Amino acid sequence: MTVGPGWYMTLAAALFSIGAIGMLVRRNALVMFMCIELMLNAVNLTFVAAGRALGTLDGQVSVFFVLVVAAAEVVVGLAIIVAVFRARATASVDELSELKG
Amino acid sequence: MIFPEVSWAAIAPEIALVAGAVAILMVDVQWKPHTRVLGGIVALAVVSAAVLSVGQWLRLDTPGDITTPFGGMIAFDRISVLARFVLLAVAAMGVAGGWRLFERLGRRAAEALALVLLATVGFSFMASSIHLVMIFLGLEVGSISLYVLAGITRERTESDEAAMKYFLLGSFASAVFIYGVALTFAGTGRLALLGQRAFLDANILTRPAVLLIGLALVIVGLGFKVSAVPFHTWAPDVYQGAPAGVVGFMAAGAKIGGFAALTRILFTAFPSMTDEWSSVVAAIAAVSIAVGVVLALVQDDVRRMLAYSGVAHAGFILTGVVAGATATTGIWFYLAVYTVQLVAGFAIVAAVTGSAGSRSDLGAFAGLATRSPFLAGAFTVALLGMAGIPLTSGFVAKFGVFVSAWQAGFEWLVIVAVLASVIAFGVYLRVIVVMYMREPGDDAPAIPTVAARWMLVAATVVTILFGVLPQPLLDLARNAFSV
Repeated sequence: MTVGPGWYMTLAAALFSIGAIGMLVRRNALVMFMCIELMLNAVNLTFVAAGRALGTLDGQVSVFFVLVVAAAEVVVGLAIIVAVFRARATASVDELSELKG
Repeated sequence: MIFPEVSWAAIAPEIALVAGAVAILMVDVQWKPHTRVLGGIVALAVVSAAVLSVGQWLRLDTPGDITTPFGGMIAFDRISVLARFVLLAVAAMGVAGGWRLFERLGRRAAEALALVLLATVGFSFMASSIHLVMIFLGLEVGSISLYVLAGITRERTESDEAAMKYFLLGSFASAVFIYGVALTFAGTGRLALLGQRAFLDANILTRPAVLLIGLALVIVGLGFKVSAVPFHTWAPDVYQGAPAGVVGFMAAGAKIGGFAALTRILFTAFPSMTDEWSSVVAAIAAVSIAVGVVLALVQDDVRRMLAYSGVAHAGFILTGVVAGATATTGIWFYLAVYTVQLVAGFAIVAAVTGSAGSRSDLGAFAGLATRSPFLAGAFTVALLGMAGIPLTSGFVAKFGVFVSAWQAGFEWLVIVAVLASVIAFGVYLRVIVVMYMREPGDDAPAIPTVAARWMLVAATVVTILFGVLPQPLLDLARNAFSV
C-alpha cells in the first residue's frame, strides 16, 4: 500500500475539522486561537499535497503566504488576548458578555 | 528566466496609500505633530490615490479592457478602479466623520490613521486581485487592521471585547476561506481565477465534489466578512463595542472588500457553475434579509440596529449576486450608495453619543430634531436611503438588484426581499419618530465637528442626488465592465 497525496488531504480534512469543532466548543480564547492555527496548518498540508499531486509549485509557494499571514495574526491576536486578560484576569470568552442585545 | 510583468501604474494608488501610512508613522515618531497634521497626510494620500485612479480609468480605454500584470496576480481593469473609488470615498468620510475620536486618541491617533489607510489598501487589493492567494492577502491586510482598530480604545473594556470577538471569528472565517481556496486549487490545479475558468471550460469534471466543497467554503468565508446570515453573529457586538468614530469605516470597508472579492471569484472563475452556487447564494440572501430585518426591529441600541440592518443589506446585495455578472452594475451602485449612508449614519451616532463610547440607546436620540436639526435631518435622509424610499439613492439601488434577480429567474427571492423591505421601513421610521416626536431629555446638544459636518452634507447630497438623477453613477458603473 502506498500513501499518496489523497491520504494527506484526508488527514488535512480531519485536522481542519478538529480545529473547527474545537473553535466551536472550547471557551478559552487561547485554545480557540490554537484551533485556528490548527486549521491554517491543515490548509498548508492541503496545499502541499495538492501541489505534489498536480506537479505544480503553486501549492508549495502558497504555503509561505499562509505562514506569513498566520504569523501576523499571532502578533495581533496575542496582543488582543493579553489586553483582555489584563483587564479581566481571565481569557474565557464566556466572561466577555458586556455586549449583547 | 522569465520575469513577471511589472506594472507600477496598476498599483500606483495603493502605493500612494501605503506611503501615506508610513509617512504618518514616521512623522509622528520624529516630530510628534498635532493630530491635524496627520489628518492632512491622510487627506493627501487619499486624494493622490484618487487622482491616480482617475488616471488609471482614463488609461483603460474600453470597459472590458483587462491586463493582469505581476504574473497574473493583479487585475488592471475598470471594476477594480471603481471599487477603489468607493473605498477611498468611504475612508475619507470615515476619518472626517470620526475626527473627534482621532483627536481624543492623542498619541495613538497616528496608529489609528495609518491603520485606516492600510485597511483601505487591503480591501482595495481584494477588489483588484485576480489570483486567490492575492485576494487572501488583501483580505488579511484589511481584516487584521480592522481587528486592531476595533480595540484602539483599549482602556474601555467594551472595546477590547469587541476586538477579541472580531479577531476570533474573523480569523476563523479567514481560515475557512483559505481552506476553500486550497480545495479549489486541488480541484482545478490553478490559483489564478482566469486559469480556473479556462480549466473549467476545457474539462468536464467527473468528480467535482472537492471543487464544490471548496467553492462553498469560499462563499462561507466571504459571507462572514460581509456579515450574511448565518455568519453574522459578530457584527452587532463589534459595531457596538468598537469606538463609534471608526465603526462606519470598518463596516463599509469590510462589505466593499468582501463583495468585490465574492463577485470577482464567482463571476470570473465559476460562471460555468452558476447553477450550483446561485441557489446557495439565494438561500443565504433570503435568510439574511429576513433575519436582519426582524432582529433590527427589536433592537434598542442604534448601533446594533444599524448592524442588523447591515445584515439585511448584505442579503439585498446578494440578491443581485445570484443574477450573475449581468448584475454587476446594480451591485456596485448598491454598494456605493449604501456604504455612504452607512458611514454617514455612524458619524451621526458618534456625534450624538460620543465618538469613543459604546452605548447608543435609542433614547439618546430623543428630540434630536430640536437639539440639532442638522444632525436629525442628515440622519433622516440616510435612514430613508437605507429604507429605499423613492427619490433616494437606496430606492434605485434596491430596484436595480431586484430587477436583475427577477430576470435571472429568482422571483421568489425578489418577493421575499420586497416584503422584507416594506417591513424594514418600520426599523428606520422608529428612529425618525424618536428624533422628531419625542421630547428631548436633558442631554447636551450634539455638535458635530466641522469635518463631520461637511462629510454629512456630502453624504446627504449624494443620497438625494443619485435618487433623483441616478443615471450618471449607473453609467459609470456600466462603463466599468463588459458582459
